[in-house]
Amino acid sequence: MATETRHCVSGPAVPASLDLVHTLLEAVWSEHPDVLPDDRMRFELGVTEIAGNIIEHAAAPGPIDFRLAVEVFADRLEARFRDAGRRVDVDFDEATMPDAMSESGRGLALVLAVVDELSYRHDGSDNHWLVVRRRSPG
Amino acid sequence: MIELDTSQAHDVAVLRPQGRLTMVHAGDLRAAVDQAVGDGRTHVVIDLGDCEFMDSSGLGAVVGGLKQARQAGGDLRIAALQPQVMTVLQLTNLDRVLRPYGSVPEALRGD
Repeated sequence: MATETRHCVSGPAVPASLDLVHTLLEAVWSEHPDVLPDDRMRFELGVTEIAGNIIEHAAAPGPIDFRLAVEVFADRLEARFRDAGRRVDVDFDEATMPDAMSESGRGLALVLAVVDELSYRHDGSDNHWLVVRRRSPG
Repeated sequence: MIELDTSQAHDVAVLRPQGRLTMVHAGDLRAAVDQAVGDGRTHVVIDLGDCEFMDSSGLGAVVGGLKQARQAGGDLRIAALQPQVMTVLQLTNLDRVLRPYGSVPEALRGD
């Protein structure tokens, strides 16, 4: 199957860069109006949470950049993040919703609730995140 | 950006976050609730009619505000949720703690 155009953005891993992520996704949706609103919304939530995770955890102690590539396929939406930050300690089994009155710790559990595939690996120099949401039948 | 409306009553503050409530503006919301409660406006309503997107950081700030308002003897309510924000609330099971109101007047009345 032919791959659709890849949309990419890179920037510093700081909170303001979340706007770059949203702007990129707006461009993706305008080029793919066939992606259903619910798929867009849930994928965007998953992608935003992973971007937030990179900004919060991988960036310390020094400033780093991250790169995001998004691809729309006939059956799925894919986002791939890459950053040169430190290795992140991730345990997907531990990613459950915290108590209602907790002010943090929901990010990864939210991602797992809205995507079909989530993977993280560190290749010795870079962190790689893959976020996949299968598209709902239109 | 967060608008503050104190015209409802002496102990009420209505906060209106505009656009996306993510880690970019979560601190602004915390500061706004902090100031409102500090000024004795312990009944806080967050009008989410113009908030198109919220992530876990934004939600964390809302929960923080809820705790702060309750500790001061008041309450925090959320109103006019857009579909994305409603989804986030449901996925995190917070709709059990933070009942979504249809509008600011409904939130103020509590019905």
